[in-house]
Amino acid sequence: MSLIEIPVGPQHPALHEPILLRVRADGERVVGIQVVTGYNHRGVEKLGERSTWSKDVFLYSRICGICNTVHAQTYTQGVEAIGGIEVPPRAQYLRTLVMELERIHSHILICAVMAEVVGFDSLFMLMMRDREPVMMLKELVTGNRVIADYYVLGGVRRDLDEVKKDKILKVLEGVEARVKYYKKIFMEDYTITKRLLGVGVIKPSEAVAYSLVGPTLRGSGVKSDVRADDPYAAYGEIPFNVVTYSDGDSLSRMLVRLDETLESIEMIRYIIKHLPEGPIAPKTPIRTLHEGEAFSRVEAPRGELIYHIVSKGGDKPYRVKVRTPSFNNIINGVIAYRDARIADVPVILTSFDPCISCTERILVIDERNGSTKVLSLKDLSRWGK
Amino acid sequence: MSKAVEFLRSLGLTCKEVKQARRYVFEVSPDKLRVVVTGLIKLNLNIYSSTISVVDYINEGVIEVNYCLWVIDEKLMIVLRVRVPRDSPKVPTIHDIIPGALNGELEAYDLFGVVFEGNDKLRRGFLVPLDIANQGVFPLRKDFKV
Repeated sequence: MSLIEIPVGPQHPALHEPILLRVRADGERVVGIQVVTGYNHRGVEKLGERSTWSKDVFLYSRICGICNTVHAQTYTQGVEAIGGIEVPPRAQYLRTLVMELERIHSHILICAVMAEVVGFDSLFMLMMRDREPVMMLKELVTGNRVIADYYVLGGVRRDLDEVKKDKILKVLEGVEARVKYYKKIFMEDYTITKRLLGVGVIKPSEAVAYSLVGPTLRGSGVKSDVRADDPYAAYGEIPFNVVTYSDGDSLSRMLVRLDETLESIEMIRYIIKHLPEGPIAPKTPIRTLHEGEAFSRVEAPRGELIYHIVSKGGDKPYRVKVRTPSFNNIINGVIAYRDARIADVPVILTSFDPCISCTERILVIDERNGSTKVLSLKDLSRWGK
Repeated sequence: MSKAVEFLRSLGLTCKEVKQARRYVFEVSPDKLRVVVTGLIKLNLNIYSSTISVVDYINEGVIEVNYCLWVIDEKLMIVLRVRVPRDSPKVPTIHDIIPGALNGELEAYDLFGVVFEGNDKLRRGFLVPLDIANQGVFPLRKDFKV
């Protein structure tokens, strides 16, 4: 039987990494995947070299919409390490609070998208509804619903008062009950388990060798979390569990995220209860830095985010290298598609929580007669039912 | 003491001082890189390739390739620093030893023109749009004007 090539991707206007998966299929079975990138390289690293240290906080937080505060965290903590800048404890706790709020809404979002991909649209809508209060909390704390711009070098921009604390605790109570319910659905519902269980299995040794990060790595049973292994901000003082599941399939990766959401809610409760008093930012803004370099790591919702920052003194960085978690997970994660069925491709891709929306449209080429047919992601998902 | 750091010191490599905790930077010559990485992997530690960061020191005529490896079991980062001449930046590939280094090598070749000898998957246009890549320029080098 001749092989059929199915391009999955590449364009989507909403997200920052349009990408194409060229899926080679023998009937329903995937025999090979080639990842094609390069549709939208924006040169943010180059742009950062021309801007100043303090302005770059806002530039780098715009690399990603969903995880913008973790980008700001990685950049500022790297610069603070080079400059030996002390961040006040209250600011460290507030940064941690915002990052955990971001993790909650990011994890709920990808679980909702997964529900949509497998055809469970009502679950998708319910989860998106319950994500909204978390976005509102982010707005309450930072002033913005999506791009927070909460960070300055050496601290944060806004403080938290008692009224806001009460509001956060009250809203999270409702969110926690819903997430527990969704976890039950992901574990028990026939539609979900039928599509996710045993799909896209990655063995622990492969996950490490292929340098997968974040919930994808922990879904394969490898206990690695930057928050625990290489503590930053206030994570060294806040108790939490590193969640792992050992099956290595798409369901494990989603359950890691749902459990992490519950952990994050507990962490926020701890932060609010133990929020230290004191200033939240330095009195004079930081403008210049001496020579030095830093390798700054943060656990973004999608996994390890790393910046390599090089300073040659002055008010501008010499080099800022950014490596996002999706870059490892998408390019090196092709091993997960081995022997999958075509209908599993969007499920596996979604289980990596890719920071792209490349599966928006699908073009099927039949090599025998050269005919082409455009399918939407939904059509493709239906093939598996 | 960490097994990985002990091993690198036993090879005669010296660790550069860095301010951050859990970071160990070792300078390695390009011809020894594969021996060092193979040795690290044979220690039976869980090591993944975090990133390959390239810095262009145009005034010194040097391109610096930093292999950032995270040792999961020992909770530390090993940075292997290779410095090569800017006019012919060539280093051996390590993607056959650590498969996860592939994306870093593809990126470094496309943006900086660092040739990873032995990697047959290197291609222009991985991240850079082809109209720019076809001009034979590398956009993140310091002499590339935007």
